[in-house]
Amino acid sequence: MAFGEGGPPRGGGRGGFGGGRGGFGGDRGGRGGFGGGRGGGRGGVAKRGGDRGGRGGGRGGPGRGGRGAGRGGRGGARGGSNVVLEPHKHPGIFIAKGKDSLLVTKNLVPGEAVYGEKRISIEGGVEGTKIEYRVWNPFRSKLAAGVLGGMDHIFIEPGKKVLYLGAASGTSVSHVADIVGPEGVVYAVEFSPRSGRDLIGMAKKRTNVIPIVEDARTPQKYRMLVSAVDVIFADVAQPDQARIVVLNAEYFLKNGGHVVISIKASCIDSTASPEAVFAQEVDYLRKQKFKPIEQVTLEPYERDHAMVSAVYQRHK
Amino acid sequence: MLVLYETSLGYCLFKVTDTGKIQNQDVWEEFETPEKANKFLKLKSLHRFTSTVTAVEEITALQEGKLGKGLKQFLSDEVVGKGKGKEQLMVADPKLGHSIHKKLGINVVSDSIEGLYRDMFRGIREQLAVLLDGLDPKDLATMSLGLSHSLSRFKLKFSPDKVDTMVVQAVALLDDLDKEINIYAMRVKEWYGWHFPELGKIIVDNLAYAKVIKAMGFRTNASTTDFSSILPEDLEATVKAAAEISMGTEISDSDINHIHSLCDQVIAITAYRTQLAEYLRNRMNAIAPNLTALVGELVGARLISHAGSLLSLAKHPASTVQILGAEKALFRALKTKHDTPKYGLIYHASLIGQAPPKLKGKMARMVATKAALSIRVDALTDADGKSEPMAPSIGIENRAKLEARLRALEEGADATGVRGARNGKKQAKFSMSGETSTYNTAADAVDLVPAQRDPLETALQATLDVKAEKKKAKEAKKAKKKEEEGDEDENKMDVDNEEESEKKRKRRESHADGEEKKIKHEGETEEERKARKKAKKEAKAAAASAGEAVDSTKKKRRKSEA
Repeated sequence: MAFGEGGPPRGGGRGGFGGGRGGFGGDRGGRGGFGGGRGGGRGGVAKRGGDRGGRGGGRGGPGRGGRGAGRGGRGGARGGSNVVLEPHKHPGIFIAKGKDSLLVTKNLVPGEAVYGEKRISIEGGVEGTKIEYRVWNPFRSKLAAGVLGGMDHIFIEPGKKVLYLGAASGTSVSHVADIVGPEGVVYAVEFSPRSGRDLIGMAKKRTNVIPIVEDARTPQKYRMLVSAVDVIFADVAQPDQARIVVLNAEYFLKNGGHVVISIKASCIDSTASPEAVFAQEVDYLRKQKFKPIEQVTLEPYERDHAMVSAVYQRHK
Repeated sequence: MLVLYETSLGYCLFKVTDTGKIQNQDVWEEFETPEKANKFLKLKSLHRFTSTVTAVEEITALQEGKLGKGLKQFLSDEVVGKGKGKEQLMVADPKLGHSIHKKLGINVVSDSIEGLYRDMFRGIREQLAVLLDGLDPKDLATMSLGLSHSLSRFKLKFSPDKVDTMVVQAVALLDDLDKEINIYAMRVKEWYGWHFPELGKIIVDNLAYAKVIKAMGFRTNASTTDFSSILPEDLEATVKAAAEISMGTEISDSDINHIHSLCDQVIAITAYRTQLAEYLRNRMNAIAPNLTALVGELVGARLISHAGSLLSLAKHPASTVQILGAEKALFRALKTKHDTPKYGLIYHASLIGQAPPKLKGKMARMVATKAALSIRVDALTDADGKSEPMAPSIGIENRAKLEARLRALEEGADATGVRGARNGKKQAKFSMSGETSTYNTAADAVDLVPAQRDPLETALQATLDVKAEKKKAKEAKKAKKKEEEGDEDENKMDVDNEEESEKKRKRRESHADGEEKKIKHEGETEEERKARKKAKKEAKAAAASAGEAVDSTKKKRRKSEA
């Protein structure tokens, strides 16, 4: 992708500008989760709104890798302010740096928002073309919260096949579909007919999403629709969610595939302490041929939630 | 051994080359590479779905563990027809395996819940593209996509909960309407009260209030309007009398027009609310006759709406039904290790409402157990069974039982004697404690207004009430002001000289005087006011003349002194 190549020379070439823009970093020092994705040398790239006269000169210059400064979203959300895009450490995810930094994914269906989220369009590599990105709100999506919470790997990458349990209305699913791109597939399982309705509406626009309105407890009911998958993401908030994940993994997860689970402590046991609940769930996974990789809490986006990732080791 | 594998494209039948390896723990190794898998399994035949419609039919049958038409045809052609009826067939779903065995007599082994042959199917799933002779994975993906969309749409279209949804939505709308009506009616009262403040005291009912305004318009029309269709006679007379002596301000035609349209809203929404309640009653009687007979349609509908559907409510235990709607209190109690709540939504059932406070918890528990039974009966009888006249028999029976039990509990003597609560213990001697409340005669007042009462008197009373209220408010305000002033004075006292404080005192006195006068003169008629003015003038004149007289005497005295 163009962003990747354009990165390093850009940082060097713009060293002169860096000094003038020192003000930027200050207002977002608190977001630790971004640290991984933001190389030190890039600090000077981000720019502030249209208050700087010198900005125009830099635009279109050779050092920029042909990529102009970001423009405000079409919805007028960030109208006028300039946004610079950087890849996140997780492939398929980007950071839009404007007045403040936002997690974004590349919109598979440009020109349309799924749930009223903001969109940012940025000029593409070729003159005159634009690429649209959708803002991913960590307060609405547990996966985004996990990304910002500092997960080392989310395993959901371009081209992967993902089984998404607990798809709800498809807001998070749409971002996962953005990440895996047209080459990947997202099997979105949701039991509630009401939410399923919205999910199908979203999936109509995105051909890499396969909506399944079934109970995730009965994988045999959708066994003919799902192929072997690389990753299972589960956000089902059920007392037996670990069992649900294991059951689905037995059917569909490749050996050596990964699971990423969002655990809501109060849904499993409201009287025990959250830490004890997390430990208990991880322990269950361990007994079922999973090897836990990492666990992060989703503070401050969700209370008493944890995101756990593990690798499936059915056959050693 | 043959293996049946279902895909979104159609059915596949594989033949296992080395049957001995199937029982092996390491069967997965056979699927590690495409070559190995191809060697291990041979595709015997493939049955493609001819259209999406047939695919949906077949897959829905599969999901229920039934043998679809296409599958039956396929298996009888490929297995029975080719003389392989004796060979074993491996199937992924035990339920499906059972029906295949029953219908076609094929010897079936199936993957159990424990996953006896799961590795086989996992392997096929992983190597499917190779096993199907270089089938394009894109092809499979597009078929899956199309099929999943049609399946989900099919599923939503024939959702079994759709009847319950009507009840859920209706009861939610009912709550919304109640809120709305209350808000609008309060606004009408507030607005029209400016014109005719006494009316709010006389007519408490929101609907009647709106109707009276619609009929009357300005309060001056009260005497000529006929309220007989809206109000009882005595109230009508009261309204008419009050309109004559009302102290409200005048309002314009456009004002009354807007108030009228607001009244229309109140009347229309109230009418719709009764209609909706009737609809809900009918629906609840059709869906859950026993539950409705036991706790009433409103509580029943709320319970269903809380659980999501009747079937999911039927899956709740009685203890959950008892506290449904009190989740917040329950989890708080669990966390803090306090007592859990005794009742939730079920509290509003009349059976619990009529129980004395001490027995409410016990009653809630009993009602919940009976309700849980009734719900299960309702959820699991078919529509025909529910439409029978005797459908709510269990609900009615249980209700009678509970009522009898409540009566027995209230009387103190445990009629059934199940527990024999007083067997061992002697009843404590009764002694009067200070806390018991005495009979409250005031609570006996009924809503009916005696017809004999003088309407004018009532109207006057209403007027006086409003007046007294205003006066009270004013006095309170004054007292507050005084207090504030007093505070100020106290603070200043050290600094101020006496003169100033005296000035203040005077001002305060005159202020109070004026206030008093104002209050006195409120509510008198034009004639009275004139008369008072006249009297005031005369008094002034008299005072003036008297003053003159005093003056003159003083002067005289001075003169004489000089």
